[in-house]
Amino acid sequence: MAPLKHLEMENPIIDACFRDFCSSHGILTVEDFLLHDIYELAALAERQENADRLKEGITVMLSLIEVKCRPWLNGMELLEDMQRSKHTLSSGDKETDSLLQGGLREGQLTELVGPSSSGKTQFCMQAAASVAEKQDGSVFYIDTGNSFSARRIAQFICGSSDAAALRKRVLSRISCHTVYDIYTMFDTLQGLEVALRSQVQKNVNEYRLRLLIVDSISSLITPILGGSGSQGRALMVALGYLLKKLAHEHNIAILVTNHTVGAGESGKTKPALGETWKSIPHVRLMLSRDNRNSNCTISILKHTSMPSGQTVKTTMTRNDNQQYL
Amino acid sequence: MGEHEAARDWIRSDETAAQMLSRVLGDRTLLLLPPLHRVPLRAGNVVEITGSSPTAKTQILIQSAITCILPKTWNGVHYGGLGKLVLFLDLDCRFDVMRLSDMLKCRLLEANRLGNGAWWQLEKSNVKTCRSAQDKAKIVYDEELYVSCMKRFLYLRCYDSLELLSSLKTLHYRIRLQEACGSQVGVLMIDSIGAFHWTDRLSSSLALDKNNRKSLSLTNVVETIVQEMKKLMQVHSLVVIATKATIYEEKYPTNENNRKLSSNNDLSGNASSKAQQPPFREFMPSSWQAFVTHKIFIRKSGDHQSSGQNTLSAYSLEWLQPQLSSIDRFIVDDVFSLSTRHHTFTETLVVQNSVEIITIVR
Repeated sequence: MAPLKHLEMENPIIDACFRDFCSSHGILTVEDFLLHDIYELAALAERQENADRLKEGITVMLSLIEVKCRPWLNGMELLEDMQRSKHTLSSGDKETDSLLQGGLREGQLTELVGPSSSGKTQFCMQAAASVAEKQDGSVFYIDTGNSFSARRIAQFICGSSDAAALRKRVLSRISCHTVYDIYTMFDTLQGLEVALRSQVQKNVNEYRLRLLIVDSISSLITPILGGSGSQGRALMVALGYLLKKLAHEHNIAILVTNHTVGAGESGKTKPALGETWKSIPHVRLMLSRDNRNSNCTISILKHTSMPSGQTVKTTMTRNDNQQYL
Repeated sequence: MGEHEAARDWIRSDETAAQMLSRVLGDRTLLLLPPLHRVPLRAGNVVEITGSSPTAKTQILIQSAITCILPKTWNGVHYGGLGKLVLFLDLDCRFDVMRLSDMLKCRLLEANRLGNGAWWQLEKSNVKTCRSAQDKAKIVYDEELYVSCMKRFLYLRCYDSLELLSSLKTLHYRIRLQEACGSQVGVLMIDSIGAFHWTDRLSSSLALDKNNRKSLSLTNVVETIVQEMKKLMQVHSLVVIATKATIYEEKYPTNENNRKLSSNNDLSGNASSKAQQPPFREFMPSSWQAFVTHKIFIRKSGDHQSSGQNTLSAYSLEWLQPQLSSIDRFIVDDVFSLSTRHHTFTETLVVQNSVEIITIVR
């Protein structure tokens, strides 16, 4: 938000005189104004010579703040927005889709938690292939661990006729971005936000961005956590909100992966990133793999519209990959 | 003479005790559904529900919201609601409107069933055989009523503290606009209050050099939030219900350890400290803590085996302020979902109240 001086152009009432009054109470910017008791300020203005003009200034400031606020939406408007622009995307895996009542939802952040080599990356690539092939959407794939493989994605494309052309078409809709630290991550996402916003204005809507994948988000966040300082956690929360904002405002489904860490002496494992991160994702899925066969179990740790604790068994065909290679 | 008259008018009492009593009693107490039924709430109360995520906090909020937006009666059917507006401030930004819609439909159906028992008796035998519950539902619940209830639910999401502050600053005007249309606000909900804790704490360290300028620090921000809400509550009769997600890991996760801890406290002859010591690490600034009048703590209490193969999580709810001696255990079942979405476990759906209560008296 702006210093008060910048507001004068469009609102002549916020003149040097009003700003002097404000700065004498420590108000230099709109943020400072937000932190002040308006009634108290109005009472102080009352004592000044030009009380009416000052009070008018305060009212103008309030209305400026009000314009910037998002509007309150009622339940029916929310429902309408949801039905019009928040669809579910198939993750490419039937069992998971039925567990999630349709798949990954646009506007939501879905987190996939699992120990290493439990099939998280595979799940991500399968989802990318599915969305690019069947839902005619483009996919923004952020790879933080050099695990992206176009060849493996190509395996998930299941069109029967004219396979090569289809593969090419589908793969061209998936863009991969390598990011190794959280600051580059913020850069990338802010760049994406700007691009999306200009796209809305130009109304170029051939292949709308429908899925954003971050594999894995924990490898970006873990290095900055630790210690008692708040900076790491603040960055983590800010990243979470940036993702949620992107998801909601541009109707994108977001899929992030997280690893597991040991929980105390009991030998159990739990998702990494701690207690604060728990309030970030809409849906948390736990992935675990049975070592003896290729069976995977996906269970819901948290869901915004389902009770947690439901489980589904699925087979992820890891063997296919080896055959191909 | 005129001056005397004016002075006498000024001295004269505003209302008699009887008038006040009838006014206060007219301000209906907000009886919420279980698990919040233990303490009757009234305008001016601030309830805080603490628990780690997920402990069904938002679920409880939505349930209370539905009680508030439902009318008392409609077309001769008793719904037992307040018929007031709900303002839902979503700071976690993960509210799911389908949840509200499904649960509302479920409540409407339930009320209809009670009001029209014969119909339900007739149909209930069909429920298990016929999967298309939504077809019948469409006949049963009143679409007009459903829409009017949904419209009483007002929602706003905030992505940072400044957005929250600016919406609170302008809330009074917006409520006045609504009240001009004839609807009253009953509850203000915040989900969840500690959402911007870390980002605000970071800005606390960015001290401003101007000494009379308030910095955007955590304490200042929370203080202003509380101040704005207090002012709102002076003018509008509101109940505030806020959730609070714990941001620190519980050091003593099991009940047994908790008991050990408290018995240690007793041994040291400091029994009163037990009452003051919350079972979680408090992180909200004191201005917020002083603002809260009712405190509830929820924790996960193992799994509950339902009839199907799915295990559902069970939670235990404890009143910390006012301190009650009973702990409510509840499980969250799926609601009687009427949407066309696919369900994997239709058998467990015939549960009218989505929260089931088992009470344990300590």
